[in-house]
Amino acid sequence: MREILRAFGGPLSLVIGTLVGFWLLILVAVPQVAMLDYSLWSQAANADLSAAIDRAYAEATMAEFDRRAEANPAKATELDEKLTALKRTIAELEAAQTSPPKTYGLQNYTRMSPLHAYIFVRTILSALAVAAVALVVCYPIAYAAAFAPTPRRAAILLTALLVPYAMNELLRVYAWLMIFDYRGVLNSLFAAVGLADLEARRWVPFLETQGALFTVMVSVYALFMVFPIMNTLQTLDPHQIEAARDLGASAWRIHARVVIPHAKPGIAVGVITVFMLAAGSFAVPQILSRGTGGDWFSQLVYRQFFEANNWNLGSAYAFSLLVVSLAIVFAMMRAFGVSLREITK
Amino acid sequence: MRGTDVRLDHVDVTFGDFQAISDVSLEVEPGEFFSILGPSGCGKTTLLRLISGFQEPTRGRVLIGGADMAGRGPNRRPTALIFQNLALFPLMSVRENVAFGLEARGIPKRERLARADALLALVALEGQGAKKPGELSGGQRQRVAIARALAVEPAVLLLDEPLSALDLKLRQHMRAELKAIQRKTGVTFIYITHDQGEALTMSDRIAVMNRGRVEQVGRPEELYAEPATPFVATFVGEQNVLIGTVAASAPGEAAVDTPLGRLVGRTANGAPAVGSRAFVMIRPERLRLSDGAALAGVVSRRDLEGPFFVLHVESGDTRLVAHVPNSGAIPEPGARVALAVDPADMLILPEGETARA
Ligand SMILES: Nc1ncnc2c1ncn2[C@@H]1O[C@H](COP(=O)(O)OP(=O)(O)O)[C@@H](O)[C@H]1O
Ligand SMILES: [Mg+2]
Repeated sequence: MREILRAFGGPLSLVIGTLVGFWLLILVAVPQVAMLDYSLWSQAANADLSAAIDRAYAEATMAEFDRRAEANPAKATELDEKLTALKRTIAELEAAQTSPPKTYGLQNYTRMSPLHAYIFVRTILSALAVAAVALVVCYPIAYAAAFAPTPRRAAILLTALLVPYAMNELLRVYAWLMIFDYRGVLNSLFAAVGLADLEARRWVPFLETQGALFTVMVSVYALFMVFPIMNTLQTLDPHQIEAARDLGASAWRIHARVVIPHAKPGIAVGVITVFMLAAGSFAVPQILSRGTGGDWFSQLVYRQFFEANNWNLGSAYAFSLLVVSLAIVFAMMRAFGVSLREITK
Repeated sequence: MRGTDVRLDHVDVTFGDFQAISDVSLEVEPGEFFSILGPSGCGKTTLLRLISGFQEPTRGRVLIGGADMAGRGPNRRPTALIFQNLALFPLMSVRENVAFGLEARGIPKRERLARADALLALVALEGQGAKKPGELSGGQRQRVAIARALAVEPAVLLLDEPLSALDLKLRQHMRAELKAIQRKTGVTFIYITHDQGEALTMSDRIAVMNRGRVEQVGRPEELYAEPATPFVATFVGEQNVLIGTVAASAPGEAAVDTPLGRLVGRTANGAPAVGSRAFVMIRPERLRLSDGAALAGVVSRRDLEGPFFVLHVESGDTRLVAHVPNSGAIPEPGARVALAVDPADMLILPEGETARA
């Protein structure tokens, strides 16, 4: 803080501070607090209420018919009173329906059905698996890029990595869809060698498998794994690798004892980022599986908001996902033995 | 531990179209303290990487203990390399650093840590094993690197300017220590330096390199007294260089016409052709003040070096440097002086590249 003041002077520091505060308040705190609030209340179940309204309307219609057919003035007055009372009841009921009383409590958090709870757990585990697979795939790539024998080779490798990312994420996912679809590239290849028969609808249903989802998620989020690892590896003195080799260490031991310990902060950043992206991923499972491969939890959240129109439950779902994900992130930081300070370095 | 011999046999190394090592042949004796001396960029590190296995020769052979090392990686050679920047593992403790080579050989933890402690004692670092390298001083880190390299019991220890990062005092202390460790262990040391003082004080023999070639190999006193080329003559020790034309030539002796007159001196190898250009090399400590009409000039500067004065004497465009003992009357700047030198102390070499052109 004091450094900022010294580096930029008073007025500029104030501007920077205000911008940062604005950012934290408007874009982080306020939406989260609103979400938390939504998740903590619910309104009376509307089914009973609308039945009661229906019943009151029916009664009122009947009373009106009766009133029109009634000749006896005494009875007519009675019916008039009944009608007025019914109209008041209807108005009250309708008022209750349009703005029912809020009940605060944890009911939204305890209402998750077993199926949804299962999907929740599966999403978290799958996201962890995606992060793990991405790490295994990306570490060698990051290593190769960081220690390319010539700058030219490094540039070529990085360009090859970056080109697919110049494409919009949705387009990338659709490209994978074309590859994995029933009549997609892979199945066509299989058909060409006789392993599948598109006419007879005998094909490999890639899109219904978790494998396809994994492949696409890893490819979509790979860069978030490659870059932090590559950045930390670039700060590793290549002489250390040579020294380890000179002392007789195998390639495996060099990685286990010298390279990976050095890259740990980068690995932590990569794993955490990919895990968070995968856990909250919506477009990839939505486009890819189209409901055939089992839901991702984010799809459930979406449906609570925009199909079931239950923002309260949706908020509770979203907030639960956030809290569990953060808990896992902190657990991972402990497991990696890295602190926030190291990660943000 | 016992050292073995190292032989380079007509070795070339080229990077693209740049030739870093040209036709180098060397024979290092078992248990020898052998230095490779040369200016920065002359190919010393490349030569060391050639022996340690990080660099394959473009041509020629590398033999260690008589065995051809072609195709053998650094982890399978009986050498250990101490890198110019030491390359200690910063995340490991000092002990783990030293034990790393033993760990790689699958030696059980208790044993390898015990051996690491013994080596730390050898380099006078008892009790520092639990620290991280970053917590040690430059000289201590230096010793950790030595202990780490010695832990794998190499037959040949390769050192790439290991003292260049230390300050002068520590450097002088470490020279003696390195030499003592070498004697104690009997390991062949191949020591790289661009510091001629370091090479002269520590080495059994020295190879002087320039532009990827070995100019001369010899004992320190040989290189100093009998340099074979103008480069060696000027790179090793200080030298006054006078250029002239050979006026007369006989075996072992020649006369050269220089700006300071005709000088007669001894020749190193063969008789230079009369009329050819040649250098007359005179060490500053061989010049003495005299009354005779030898080399006359005016003192332009006078610096006290402690036991002797450095006199800068100018005569026309020629400038001579003389070391005169700090006793008696020393001429002041501006004084006319005459300097004398024995013919045996004037070395005549054919004109060629010098170290400080
Ligand atoms: N891997 C390499 N690729 C290209 N040129 C190199 C390589 N290694 C060294 N060189 C060049 O070879 C020459 C000798 O380098 P080096 O052996 O490091 O010299 P020294 O250790 O004597 O200072 C230098 O000009 C250097 O630029
Ligand atoms: Mg070097």
